[in-house]
Amino acid sequence: MPNPPADDPHTFFVETNFQRLARRAGGVPREQALENARITLETIKVGFRDWLESEIADLAAAIRRGRTGQPADVAWAETALLHCRQIRDVGTTMGFQLVTFIAGNLCEMLDNVIAGAVPRNEMIDCHIDALYLARQEQYRHLSPEQLPELSGGLRRVLEVAHAGSPAKASGSKMAPGGEEQT
Amino acid sequence: MTTATINLKGLVFLVADANPYFSRIIVGLLRSFGATAVTEVRNSFDAIQLLNSQKFDILLCDDRLPPHGGLQVTHAIRRKRDNENRTIPILIMSGDTRESMVKIARDAGANMVLVKPVSASSLYDRLAWIAFTPRQFVDTPTYFGPDRRFKNDPYPGVGRRRTDRHAGTGGEAAHAAQTLQADTPNPGHGTGSENPALMDQS
Repeated sequence: MPNPPADDPHTFFVETNFQRLARRAGGVPREQALENARITLETIKVGFRDWLESEIADLAAAIRRGRTGQPADVAWAETALLHCRQIRDVGTTMGFQLVTFIAGNLCEMLDNVIAGAVPRNEMIDCHIDALYLARQEQYRHLSPEQLPELSGGLRRVLEVAHAGSPAKASGSKMAPGGEEQT
Repeated sequence: MTTATINLKGLVFLVADANPYFSRIIVGLLRSFGATAVTEVRNSFDAIQLLNSQKFDILLCDDRLPPHGGLQVTHAIRRKRDNENRTIPILIMSGDTRESMVKIARDAGANMVLVKPVSASSLYDRLAWIAFTPRQFVDTPTYFGPDRRFKNDPYPGVGRRRTDRHAGTGGEAAHAAQTLQADTPNPGHGTGSENPALMDQS
């Protein structure tokens, strides 16, 4: 590969193996692929409730440990964040939108704690309680928009938590599926 | 609406995510789309080791892959001149939807960011987009990766994304992914951050 001058970007075209092979005929059409995926996700959902129960328990346990340790030690928050992210990242795909929403909120709060904010126990507890609620069957198919009191309340809690955060990273959030240019 | 069909048979995928449940979902989706060769790793050490020792066709990597993070993995792969995986497509999977995160991923050399939680349609459409939308690579002393200036073409099979978002369900909208798009005046200006511990592995 030639060495370009330091300030002269060298551009070249690459046809990757992925591109070459993925364009072959004989693939799975989109509609069929999505139907296959739906069936696959149904089989994965079978163990989701047990997994979710276990993750929430681990999350709550990590938070409890944080209340008995040294205030400066945020290892508990890092452990809690790990479990919280795991819950957030799969909730909606498994049909639990509300779980993802609540866990996402709590992830931001825990990020703040790791960045130096004082943990607000009552706000964290509020989210744990909400997670226990959202995991129940009657809430499974509900979106945050369908429970405006709950979701609005949690959003306000998060705003309050952000207001007390010393080191919250700035940066606008992109709308889901948005086309905001970077 | 155009429909692009992708053929994933025989393509070698590497899925790097610490969360076994999430990883199971991704692998399941890929197999539903016709993929036959998917390897999973749970940390950046294993990811780098595999990417340095065997050929993969595409990497799907969590942005917070412990311990170094997926962006450092991306940076390491793109910077290594003799790595046969240097130009493979890299999808960063992230629950962080901040614009700043997307910029960092772009500057590390990622092709796209896929927002978690993922949906089957968002994953399929992004793979199709990568397959059918050629992009130049840029090589400078500070950046190696896909050209960060590229056309705002719609994804195959979904028409216009904004239209798709409004027409789709709420859950679908929440799943939609972000492309790494830029009006960067100079495509060679990257962040240049790197982790020596990661870079030393070969």
